[in-house]
Amino acid sequence: MIEVKEITKKFGLKQVLKGVSFTANKGEITCLIGINGVGKTTIMNAIMNLTPINSGEILIDGEKLRKESYEKITFIPDAITMLPQMTIGDAMQFMKDFYKSWNQKRAAELLSFFKLKEDERISNLSKGNTAKVNLLLGLGLDVDYLLMDEPFSGIDIFSREQIADVFTSHLVEDRGVIITTHEINDIEHLIDKVVILDNGVVVKSFNAEGVRENEGKSVVDVMREVYKQ
Amino acid sequence: MAVTFNKRDPVYVQVIRHFKEQIATGNLEAGQEIPSRRELANKLKINPNTAQRAYKEMEEEGLIFTEGNNPSKITKDEKVIGNVRDELILEAVNSFVDAIRPINVPLDEVVGLIKEKYTDKDGK
Amino acid sequence: MKNYIKLFNFELGRFLKFYLILIAITIVSQITGVIVSSRSYLSDANEFIYVNQGSMESFLEQYGQMSMHNITRTLWFLGPIALCVVTLLIYIFFIWYRDWFGKNTFIYRLLMLPTARMNVYLAKASTIFLMVLGLISLQLVLIPIEGTILQSMVPVDFRLDMSIQEVIGSFDYFGILVPYSFTQFIIHYGIGFMAVFIVFTAILFERSFRLKGIVLGIVYIAISVVIFISPLLVDAFLVPNYFYAIELFVMEIVVGLLVIAGSIWMSNYLLNRKIRI
Repeated sequence: MIEVKEITKKFGLKQVLKGVSFTANKGEITCLIGINGVGKTTIMNAIMNLTPINSGEILIDGEKLRKESYEKITFIPDAITMLPQMTIGDAMQFMKDFYKSWNQKRAAELLSFFKLKEDERISNLSKGNTAKVNLLLGLGLDVDYLLMDEPFSGIDIFSREQIADVFTSHLVEDRGVIITTHEINDIEHLIDKVVILDNGVVVKSFNAEGVRENEGKSVVDVMREVYKQ
Repeated sequence: MAVTFNKRDPVYVQVIRHFKEQIATGNLEAGQEIPSRRELANKLKINPNTAQRAYKEMEEEGLIFTEGNNPSKITKDEKVIGNVRDELILEAVNSFVDAIRPINVPLDEVVGLIKEKYTDKDGK
Repeated sequence: MKNYIKLFNFELGRFLKFYLILIAITIVSQITGVIVSSRSYLSDANEFIYVNQGSMESFLEQYGQMSMHNITRTLWFLGPIALCVVTLLIYIFFIWYRDWFGKNTFIYRLLMLPTARMNVYLAKASTIFLMVLGLISLQLVLIPIEGTILQSMVPVDFRLDMSIQEVIGSFDYFGILVPYSFTQFIIHYGIGFMAVFIVFTAILFERSFRLKGIVLGIVYIAISVVIFISPLLVDAFLVPNYFYAIELFVMEIVVGLLVIAGSIWMSNYLLNRKIRI
């Protein structure tokens, strides 16, 4: 379980996070939503120790993040994390060189699933294919937790469908996934848990299926209510 | 197996309904193997935990059964299958009646119209 | 350790193309310089002796003998050295900033490696050091080669052969790059590498605190410099001429090591606790 406890973050004078708390379980897809600029990416960065927080605590399976933790939790930002001059194969080799948890077989499987080729240069990839390679580099690791920042944003519909397909496949099975998005419409049926952020705090956190069952509302309905207030 | 889900009903309920329809129409036969929860999630583009929940409910309702580690199968109990069919028909008729009653149409006219439409549709 | 070597190797690879170009420019330019200078000297001699009917002695009197000394002061020779120095100075900054900027933010990957972040820092520092030492070695190899080319072009009566020490000694600034003694080497490169560490730390201050970090970085550099020259300051102002030169030297080494250790410690802290994507 990933536990985010009362974290705060200031950028200059701007208080971006004002005490954010939520948990994300293994085997579930948790979705952080909020209109742009509410600090979703900052939360991801904070979980990965890529940006310092001012107060609060983040625990992964009850422990603070250490360097070894990067073998069991990984982050797929919205920009590719490899050098443009590398080929996809180079990037995979880089992962293999540094991570014990790199699963070359799974990576190869993803490569063919996405219909990509190892000798393609990263700088030549389309936006959609760049997103797929980014996903491949994250999913190729045998990690327990996977964080993704806006995996569906700004890419073509077919890439989007392929990426959504990955979520329901064995490639994500039993992992804990946190994704951020500002566009939940397409993925309402894919997620377990929704955490709505606004103005630096969690305004509502609920189970998507639960809110449909108990209140007869869609996730978007709940968002609409929250933002109307 | 393409299913369009609405966003306000629980997905697992919609999945169960989909299965019932398939059983009622005979697309799924008694004793037929059904996809694993992972395959189902992948096919329907839904959360695997939801697929799991749907299977659990169906198992409890006796619609499907699992022996050991084998894939789950549609029940062989003809009575259950019959009930599913009845249930769906009844449900459809009920919602139709609910919709038509406020308009105050005489029953004969309704029945006539139904006959006309039903055969018309068949002819197409 | 294994990861440090892998990262070091990787960082080297990233700069290799540029580095090879620098090496090629240096070789081509300096050797061209030797050929061009020798030719023009010889044509001067030809003109003086055959066209103007002057004697060899009066030519030598007027023009002097041809030696590497004439060459080390040309743009052909100094240009590439300046280019290498400037490129490496810029690269000290670029080696960090390149990972943050552009569409491909490699810094995410570097900071998410399951290894101490210090390895990234040390790999980058080692890359700079190795590149510097590599260029110096290249120069040391090139000088005798250039001398041989000169010998093959200019007749023995017209030239003054110089040893490598003499070539280095012929040009003041060169002494900084290629020291005469081991002690000099320690001093020059010790200070150089210390400066790289300090600048790296200042860069990390900037990367951690951005605008505020620039100020912190500058203050950090200032403090490091003051600490480093503190024995000299003490010797100059507090207790004039109290220490022997060797004592000052040892103190400088100790203080230098302290400054380097401080820089590494501070960088480690910033990388682990304060760095921002």
